[in-house]
Amino acid sequence: MATEAIVRVSHVSRYFKRGSERVNVLNELDLDVPEGQFLALMGPSGSGKTTLLNLIAGLDTPSEGEIWVGDRCVSKMTEAQLARWRNEHVGFVFQFYHLLPVLTAYENVELPLLLLPLSAKKRREQVMTALELVGLNDRNSHIPSQLSGGQQQRVGIARAIVTDPTLIVADEPTGDLDAKSAHEILDLLNVLQRSLNKTILMVTHDLRAARRADRIQHLDKGRLVDQPDEALYEAG
Amino acid sequence: MKFLMLIVKNLRRNLVRSMLTSAGVMVLVFVITLIWSILGFLDIATSEKTSNFKGIVTEKWSIPSQMPFSYAATLENGAAREESDVKPIDSMTWQFFIGSTEKGTMGFNSFIFAFCMEPKKLLTMMDELDSLPPGPRAELDDAIKKMEGNRQGIIVGQKRLAAIEKKVGDRIKIFGTNYRDIELECEIVGTFPLGRYDNNTCINRDYLNASLEAYQATNKKPHPLANKTMNLVWVKVPNKDTFTQVSSQIDKSPMFASPPVKIETASSGVSNFLAAYKDLLTILRWVLAPSIIATLAVVISNAISISVRERRKEMAVLKVIGFQPNQIMFLVLGEAIFLGVVAGSVSSIGTYFFVNKVLGGIPFPIAFFSSFPVLDGALWWGAAIGFVTSFAGSILPALSTRSIKVVDVFSKVA
Repeated sequence: MATEAIVRVSHVSRYFKRGSERVNVLNELDLDVPEGQFLALMGPSGSGKTTLLNLIAGLDTPSEGEIWVGDRCVSKMTEAQLARWRNEHVGFVFQFYHLLPVLTAYENVELPLLLLPLSAKKRREQVMTALELVGLNDRNSHIPSQLSGGQQQRVGIARAIVTDPTLIVADEPTGDLDAKSAHEILDLLNVLQRSLNKTILMVTHDLRAARRADRIQHLDKGRLVDQPDEALYEAG
Repeated sequence: MKFLMLIVKNLRRNLVRSMLTSAGVMVLVFVITLIWSILGFLDIATSEKTSNFKGIVTEKWSIPSQMPFSYAATLENGAAREESDVKPIDSMTWQFFIGSTEKGTMGFNSFIFAFCMEPKKLLTMMDELDSLPPGPRAELDDAIKKMEGNRQGIIVGQKRLAAIEKKVGDRIKIFGTNYRDIELECEIVGTFPLGRYDNNTCINRDYLNASLEAYQATNKKPHPLANKTMNLVWVKVPNKDTFTQVSSQIDKSPMFASPPVKIETASSGVSNFLAAYKDLLTILRWVLAPSIIATLAVVISNAISISVRERRKEMAVLKVIGFQPNQIMFLVLGEAIFLGVVAGSVSSIGTYFFVNKVLGGIPFPIAFFSSFPVLDGALWWGAAIGFVTSFAGSILPALSTRSIKVVDVFSKVA
């Protein structure tokens, strides 16, 4: 496994205003994720896992501190720069798949490529490779409603990897799946990490899912903690 | 191309809503196409020509104009008396005969409105009939020749012919309404080509004049309208200067003292006839048409707003995978504009062909016009109306997509 940090979170705080009250979600958080590592972020509800994931993925900007992904300071980019950067460097996997219902599996996977200067032939090659990797090349003309939850999540993963991103972020990717499908999705993430050396950040409540990662980081009240209180997870 | 595919697929997402919105656009574009065609046609009719001017001579102080027929010959010459005076290139007299094919009653199926005139003037002085293509012109010419050979001949517009349930060759009796106690027995010798004169008829003026003389012979007194039988005289002049000169000749002529007459350009004359409809036309032009366009924009705005609200998550996903706010905005605008332009085009082009080819014009009797063609401009009106209204209707919902915050859409306590 490579050891150079591809994600560097440095003294990051994120707070929101709720009326006159300031709500601190993340407090001066530091985190390094080496290239090719599969990191699971765990924590109780409201601990700031998704907020951290959104910040690293460039969907939100920190109130304080810096976030670097590779050689780019994500926290200093404009919205347009972030959109372009996400398209090329970040793959997202959502809990509820969020496929466009009117598009086929093929077209859903192709969506991020429409923004890149690629020929139709090259796009087709990349889409078919991604669908093959997730084992769905025979379902490419199906629309989401014709696929099972596990298959839809596979299409979501194919969409996330089709641009060959630096980083894959997954927010509860198994949260809406049965045990068997969840197992298959985690297998797939492991394959992507090992065979393609992808860096994966996964938010999960599920300890079994987290154990499939190389490393587990626990968050509580906006800070990374080494020894989590097991009782905190029971609600989740 | 791929974006267009995305736009079309999004419109198919809720087919019922897209079809209802399209239906709304089509109905409103249909109505506005009809309104604009009528207004456009009247604009053309009331705009001055630069050559082949037509002038209308009418009674100066009285509406309706009722001049003695003795004025006809002088007026047709433009009241030219001196060698230096100019004469019109062509002219035509009109006597309106209104009647019914059923004695004592008048209904839609018995009503007759006839221009009594010289038959040969149909092909040289009547708007649109003077520029017929060879086929219809030959048919009308044939009917005119029959009218000239038989002064009881009558040409009837095709819709009127159907309404009175007669056919060419049949004989009809027309009981005068404005010419009380005058009954004309006519033989239908032909029809007008489909279009502007569908509900009109044409009778040889000699027959009406002879009938008035016969009335006098029978009743030992002239018919009350005998000296007021000529309603209009049309004169055609080559240009504005000649018109001005003819106008001056008529004004100076001592022939027209009682009643005095005036000449005005055809467009001005038509405008005067349309003065009675001024309020109606103003409402059509400045209230109804803009209201329909505004309604159209609201219909589209409503549909697109609902669509945007339903798809906030999808738009957030598009942002996540790298779509710029402007690209998402253009996708939404594109959906609205695609729907508006396609539905608008189908409606206006369909209206053009249906009204012109099947109905033979918009049946909207006003002044001397019984029906109006849908103008050629309608072929692109639908697309233009669809574009403008869909843009206006969708710009706010589309702009709202720019401010969709991904973290807000996917926010959850995790």
